[in-house]
Amino acid sequence: MSEQAIVGTNAPRVDVRDKVTGQAQYAADVRLPGMLYGKVVRCWEHAHARVKRLDLSAAAASPGVVRVLGPKDVTPKRYNSSVLDLMVSESMHDMLGDIDDQPIFTEHVKFQGDAICGIIARSEEAAERAAAKVVVEYEPLPVYLTAEAAKAPGAVQFTPEKPGNRAFQLPEAMFPNNALGGGDVEAAMREADIVVEDAFYVPKQKQCQMEPHAYVAKVDSGGRLTCWTSSQMPKLVQRKLAKLFDLPMNLVKIVPTVIGGGFGTRLGMISEPQACAMALAVPGHPVKLQTLREEDWVISPSRHPGKYWMRIGFKRDGSPLACDARFENYKGGYYLDASGTAFTAGAWLGGMYRFPALRYRGESYFTNQGLTGAYRGYGNPQTNFVLEQLIDRACAGLGADPVEWRKKWHKGVGDDGWCPGVTYPSCALDECLDRGAAAIGWTEKRRKYARQTGTLRRGVGVAVMNHTSGAMPMLLEHTACTVKLNEDATAEILFACSDMGQGSHTALKQIAAETLGFPFEHVQLSGGTSDVAGFDIGAHASRTIYVGGAAVKKACEEVRRQLCERASLQLGVPAEQLDIRDKRIFVQADPARGIDAEAITRAGVYHFVDPATGEPGGVPGQIQGYVSFFAPHNSPPFGASFAEVEVDTETGEVRVLELVNAHDIGRAINPAAVEGQLEGGIQQGLGFVLSEEICYDADGRVQNNSFTDYKMFGPEDMPKITTILVEDADPIGPFGAKSVGESGLVSPVGAVANAIFHAIGIQFTEAPITPEKVLKGIRETGVRDYGSIGGGR
Amino acid sequence: MSSRILPDFDLLLPQSIPDAVELLSAHRDRITVMAGGTDVMVAMKFAQSPAQLPDYVMSLENVPGLAYVLFDPERGLRIGAKATVADLLAQSEVKRHYRALWHAAQTFATGQVRNTATVLGNLLRASPAGDCSCAIYAIGGVVVLHGTSGRREVDIDDFWLSYGVTARRPDELAVELILPLPAAGSRSAFKRMTRTSEDLAKLNVAVRLEMSGNTCVDARLAMGCVAPTPLRLTRTEALLKGRELTAEVLQRVAASVPWEISPIDDKRSTAEYRKQVSGVLLKRAIQEACGAA
Repeated sequence: MSEQAIVGTNAPRVDVRDKVTGQAQYAADVRLPGMLYGKVVRCWEHAHARVKRLDLSAAAASPGVVRVLGPKDVTPKRYNSSVLDLMVSESMHDMLGDIDDQPIFTEHVKFQGDAICGIIARSEEAAERAAAKVVVEYEPLPVYLTAEAAKAPGAVQFTPEKPGNRAFQLPEAMFPNNALGGGDVEAAMREADIVVEDAFYVPKQKQCQMEPHAYVAKVDSGGRLTCWTSSQMPKLVQRKLAKLFDLPMNLVKIVPTVIGGGFGTRLGMISEPQACAMALAVPGHPVKLQTLREEDWVISPSRHPGKYWMRIGFKRDGSPLACDARFENYKGGYYLDASGTAFTAGAWLGGMYRFPALRYRGESYFTNQGLTGAYRGYGNPQTNFVLEQLIDRACAGLGADPVEWRKKWHKGVGDDGWCPGVTYPSCALDECLDRGAAAIGWTEKRRKYARQTGTLRRGVGVAVMNHTSGAMPMLLEHTACTVKLNEDATAEILFACSDMGQGSHTALKQIAAETLGFPFEHVQLSGGTSDVAGFDIGAHASRTIYVGGAAVKKACEEVRRQLCERASLQLGVPAEQLDIRDKRIFVQADPARGIDAEAITRAGVYHFVDPATGEPGGVPGQIQGYVSFFAPHNSPPFGASFAEVEVDTETGEVRVLELVNAHDIGRAINPAAVEGQLEGGIQQGLGFVLSEEICYDADGRVQNNSFTDYKMFGPEDMPKITTILVEDADPIGPFGAKSVGESGLVSPVGAVANAIFHAIGIQFTEAPITPEKVLKGIRETGVRDYGSIGGGR
Repeated sequence: MSSRILPDFDLLLPQSIPDAVELLSAHRDRITVMAGGTDVMVAMKFAQSPAQLPDYVMSLENVPGLAYVLFDPERGLRIGAKATVADLLAQSEVKRHYRALWHAAQTFATGQVRNTATVLGNLLRASPAGDCSCAIYAIGGVVVLHGTSGRREVDIDDFWLSYGVTARRPDELAVELILPLPAAGSRSAFKRMTRTSEDLAKLNVAVRLEMSGNTCVDARLAMGCVAPTPLRLTRTEALLKGRELTAEVLQRVAASVPWEISPIDDKRSTAEYRKQVSGVLLKRAIQEACGAA
């Protein structure tokens, strides 16, 4: 193919105009004739309780109420709102121990906000007034907020399927001794000259997407259920709903609406089951169900918090010998995603450095906290906070430069990635480290800040990360794509994977236009409803460009092949000697000889017989390309982050002055969008390490379920940001692209923690590192020059 | 849980101050006054029980002439009940003569809230965290109230009675706030600590110092988030009065603050932390007022 004209440019975002002018239609904007309004009544006073009595009579008699639904008025079947169970084979599903434990309406409240019953009314006001009239008597149960509490003998069992309230541990059948890794960790540790070890706590973080979850559901006269939702995985939600309500999939239609931010929170279902149960109760009437921010806060999954212990042994020359780790995460009240993060946190650990011996154990325990599940990074920021701080503690003890140590010991091409047996096809982490270090002034500042005086102390820190591009081979990586050419040689692409606002549909259009040799403006890309679009597992695991882009590219190549074949008949030149640019098919060796694509597409559709000759013109048939694509690999991206911070030693306040994110993304399809992903990731990574945490009172009630008290970094808090795109084309990804969707968030976490360490000589084992914790640390150990540290704390 | 729907209420739209007083007098505890609405609306949506909800919301929308911020070089600053925080910032003399208040207004909430929230509303909310309240407390001033028995002035020192409670009587409308003209040699500063920039204070402090050279002739120190209402640090003020502001004096002043405050653990910080940094923040505010920081 000739040099690329569209891939690699900052093509204008396809979704932006609608969004900024208010024309984008979110689920909450859907209005249908005869629409009714649903309200889920939630248990707000308890995090753990049994429903002793539920009296819906007053609510049912409330003005404007059409139906009230208790647990017995809906299917008794349970579901698992996550979709991970659909991405693995049945045998893997059984081995992992995935269960369906969520009822539509519950009689055993397992977290604050659990759904008790539903109201369907003629207006939102009427539904809310009726909801206030529902009478529920609860029998409070002991509240367990940590794994330690939930696994204690005698604790109330969340589900008989998971004794001891352990929702998940790495299964023995796949991970001997329930541990990921290999080698003899204990023996290796005995050889170590330096061992660093600590127990950390990683916080529960909220995605804070702008659009609160909203749905419309409707059952038509043919019994077909339609659900308007902004799920990140519309096709899997279709299957989940079909299974839950015992409907064939053709009678379940998903209409994907514009997504107002995902970040993992829409990975699967949230309130689709309640919305659809309501619609099934009032056939013919659409039902709209919207959530308040504080409802959304507890019912949608958040990042897994928990205890993360790690021990790493080194030889005196700096070579790592062994890493031993255990992540015990605190689930919410239900199983969803229990297997995912518990595994991946260890997978990212295994993918980072060349530890000759590794033992990672991951377990998930039910608690009465709000639900936990997917959040951008998926276990990676947790591991980064722990691993990268311990590496820097070791570097301080070894007298090693943290950048040089990482360059020497990170994994690279040919090493196993996060999944044993799947090796890295590309790695430009050294270049990330070099360019990032130069951008922040690493060498000079490391030296300068090693000895300081005064109240304000500065430090620079580094951290690295690896991630993935799609979840092959652990999870299914399948995307279908259809490309059809209109008679005027414009292209329509059907592709079910959602654009969550990250610019993926724009980049996919660029890939399509580039591959077809068509102008960007002559390519249309639609998500399509579930009855029209082919299969796609959804937007997760940073897969949309790497897997989806490869599918789009393959489908477009098929279209291109057909165009060239038809042109070849007219030009008398073999198809493989032809090229397409600006919708003109021409002979590579003689560009003046060619034919407009439109002449071919028009003749294919309007296949008339010439009355003069009696012969049809051109080749008949509308050109379409179709692919059902399975990703052959997961080409992990790498990244290095550098942070400069200033610590106020009198108040413990930490100001991030600069953050450099240098990422090995293979190839930027749309550089501006890639930079946007890395910048947005920084904002969430800084929140994880410095300011964000969902807190509960002793009774399990959320203390900060609004933006008043849950503090993300705002514009004024953001440091100077530098993003560096290291483009070293991956041999497998489309046009060399690897993923970028999640990775930007990860290593700012470790870089900031390490910069604080450099500034004041103290490491913090609990995130977020708040001024309260910093000041406490300073009062306990005093500020120490980094230059005077040996062997860490 | 909050509600997507505002509860039912009657909206009252008086056309004048006497109209408003009459309505207040008629409905007393069942009425709430709304100017910017940034507190009233949120409180209504998050009300835990019907008892917390007003039957009447009286908007000052149609009451003319209350949106002023007027500076008189002889008498001081008058801030009308409908003047927003943004209005205050738009008055150029505020920055010059009432630096603490200007700074508090500048960092107050967010741009959208500053455009809507009123300065008097911040006083009337009687929250210990109010940034403008803290600054005004240090500067000093009087709140002018109109009621059925006429007009009266309440010194800001006597205005806050307890959390959420002010000296305003149920039949009274707070009409304006008057800040005195600062004496020559007077200077003020405001500082606050927050979790992120756009946040309610976890600790705030404002100082007004009357200086003669490097000697502090008089001082008013106010601190927020350390008691049920904004707090005057009178014992610490005494350590400043008549003293030259040496490093040693400042150290003593800073050390005195934790003994005068009674903060609590809450969502924004801990009592322990607030005590630990209270002196530091005050010291920095004094230094800033004196131009040393």
